[in-house]
Amino acid sequence: MALLSLSLARHVARGLQPLRRLCAAGWLREADVDLCLRLLHPALRLNRVFARVEARRWVADDVLAIELRCNGNTRDWRAGQHVQLYLEQDGVRHGRSYSLTSVAADGRIELAIKRQPGGRLSNVLLDHLEVGEVVELGQAFGDFAWPQEQGAVLLLAAGSGITPLLGLLRDALARGFSAPVTLLHQVRRRGQQAFAEELQALAARYTNFQVRWAFSGEDGGRLTAEQLAALPGAHLLICGPRGFVDQACGWWRDAGRGRSLQAESFSPLPVLAEADTGEVRLRFARSGQQVSGNGNASLLEQAEASGLRPAHGCRQGICTSCTCLLLAGTVRDLRSGELFAEPGQPIRLCVSAPHGDVEVDL
Amino acid sequence: MCQRPAWGCGGRSVTARVDRELNPAELEAFGQELDALRQRTLADLGEADARYIRRVRGVVRLCCWSGRALLMLGWFPPTWLLGTFLLGLGKILENMELGHNVMHGQYDWMNDPEFAGRQYEWDIVGPADFWRHTHNHVHHTYTNVLGMDDDVGYGVVRLFPEQRWKPFYRWQPLWVTIQALLFQYAVAIQHLRLDKLVKGRISKEEVRPLARQFGAKLARQWGKDYLLFPLLALLLGANALAVLTGNLVANLLRNLWTFLVIFCGHFTEKAAVFAPEVLEGETRGHWYLRQLRGSSNLSGGPLLHILTGNLSHQIEHHLFPDLPARRYAELAREVRLIAERYGQHYNCGTLWGQFSTVLRRIWIYRLPAAGMA
Ligand code: FES
Repeated sequence: MALLSLSLARHVARGLQPLRRLCAAGWLREADVDLCLRLLHPALRLNRVFARVEARRWVADDVLAIELRCNGNTRDWRAGQHVQLYLEQDGVRHGRSYSLTSVAADGRIELAIKRQPGGRLSNVLLDHLEVGEVVELGQAFGDFAWPQEQGAVLLLAAGSGITPLLGLLRDALARGFSAPVTLLHQVRRRGQQAFAEELQALAARYTNFQVRWAFSGEDGGRLTAEQLAALPGAHLLICGPRGFVDQACGWWRDAGRGRSLQAESFSPLPVLAEADTGEVRLRFARSGQQVSGNGNASLLEQAEASGLRPAHGCRQGICTSCTCLLLAGTVRDLRSGELFAEPGQPIRLCVSAPHGDVEVDL
Repeated sequence: MCQRPAWGCGGRSVTARVDRELNPAELEAFGQELDALRQRTLADLGEADARYIRRVRGVVRLCCWSGRALLMLGWFPPTWLLGTFLLGLGKILENMELGHNVMHGQYDWMNDPEFAGRQYEWDIVGPADFWRHTHNHVHHTYTNVLGMDDDVGYGVVRLFPEQRWKPFYRWQPLWVTIQALLFQYAVAIQHLRLDKLVKGRISKEEVRPLARQFGAKLARQWGKDYLLFPLLALLLGANALAVLTGNLVANLLRNLWTFLVIFCGHFTEKAAVFAPEVLEGETRGHWYLRQLRGSSNLSGGPLLHILTGNLSHQIEHHLFPDLPARRYAELAREVRLIAERYGQHYNCGTLWGQFSTVLRRIWIYRLPAAGMA
């Protein structure tokens, strides 16, 4: 039940600045204000981003594109960025990040979600997220961007790596980018070419754009160094599973074409085998530090050893002063040995040791 | 659930605790049993716990807002009394079952920003950040360790013979009364370390930013309860004085109640205090043991437990400060059995039974050479 339409609610959201200030200064409780706003429209909030599902369409056998309309609290979102989509399950608000395949001025965005065999969240979204439902999103992040300089652009995607590239491509073509653009999308088998019809339509409409597919599940279908060498482009944008991205980037550099390269990979960070507590990579996102660490010591000690001063108290897991968000990777609770790998989950640095490469919000 | 005649729960005849000392192997096993219990509960958290805390939040809102609305109807006794009572009740619940527990990180696993322990700001004059330090860190790490845990008497009361006597303590029944009436202020200024400032052990510069933060929160709380809502009443043509006094009494009620609950949690007759040496090389098992010996429970019905924010299960809270408090009742059953198996006294009694022993401590230890007999 909504007292306002979503477009009206979006206008209202803009006018809530005084209330936002009162909440930020602690005079009002944001959750209480949000409760009242929800009576006006289920997606209306003071700061948090909520969006209504406007449409859903299958763009490949296993990929669903979802069109959402946000509530007016999005801050400078650009196609090609990622956004967390939250879903509550068994009392826990789980987040998964998806790429924005389009961002329109009226608050409409599109996300594409690929079915993950055994995936806990993606399957629920694909099968049960209905038009009209309201879901929560995080603020968009990521700095994949279309190259500033002129020159031919090569886009390489594997699997759902197509999604951020598609967003950037649509944008660039619509803005009148005129240098040659080539997109190669590698998928396992036919039927998985997400957005194939639309890409073909774009190729027909813009003569500077061409699209190709590679099928890694077929003999000789996987991208090779020679094929990459034959593809034109001065700038490379690449996105896909880590193995694919690392390999192609290597070929690109070996061929001396490494001038302009933007890469993003989305595979889960490698997890240590139970016995292996050797070297791991630690990334402290907020301070922008990347250091090597080990799987034995707590993240708190290791962060301190690399010069950071994270908040802490008891150093034994009691006081929660050191709580911060796990962005990627797996950590092991030093007290129980339990593993945690949920991205976006709060962990206590003083009793969590990295179990493989990790990234934390510190 | 508390009545265990074998221990003379809440009785006055036994003054010393009758705990068995544990050897290192036993301590280890004791710690492991409690760890396992914690693990089992953690694995079981889910929907029901999330629903519960949301419901508590809903009840808090309902009480506070309906209380405030009723107060707008003026002095007419039923509305003023009921309004004040509801507002006080809402504030108590917000303080204990919502704020205290959320700020312990008990609901962090929900990953919901509204229940994130490190962000929550509660409706009392003490800034949440202060409390996260003085309570979550200092008090819960150094529970009942003399000289380390400021909660032992909060610097104004001598409750244990092990505390060095000062002439100032002669009047402690009076100090305690004042403290109870102004309890939220007492808790708030704890973090400012005024005692150290007076003794010159910390500088004014160190205290200044904290004092500023405290001032800002104080202004907000006073502004809300004693200015904004009375003014709103004026604007609506209601009785501003009725609103003002209602808010005042509601805050007072909460001060008294929280004081009562908190003093009953650690300063009862059979609560133990520890010398700082216990911290040297303290194992997990020993830490658990100290929490068990330093805390005391209150027996009673579900309403008492909710109103105390489940701090009536102070023992369980101290063993597992980050498990959702609604689980303490079921944990208590097993903790009691474990304590029994290891020959540890499980300190539990009725609210008034426990409180009377607290009062006795306050009265007795006002004098230098007093025993508990
Ligand atoms: S420092 Fe206290 S929980 Fe980590």
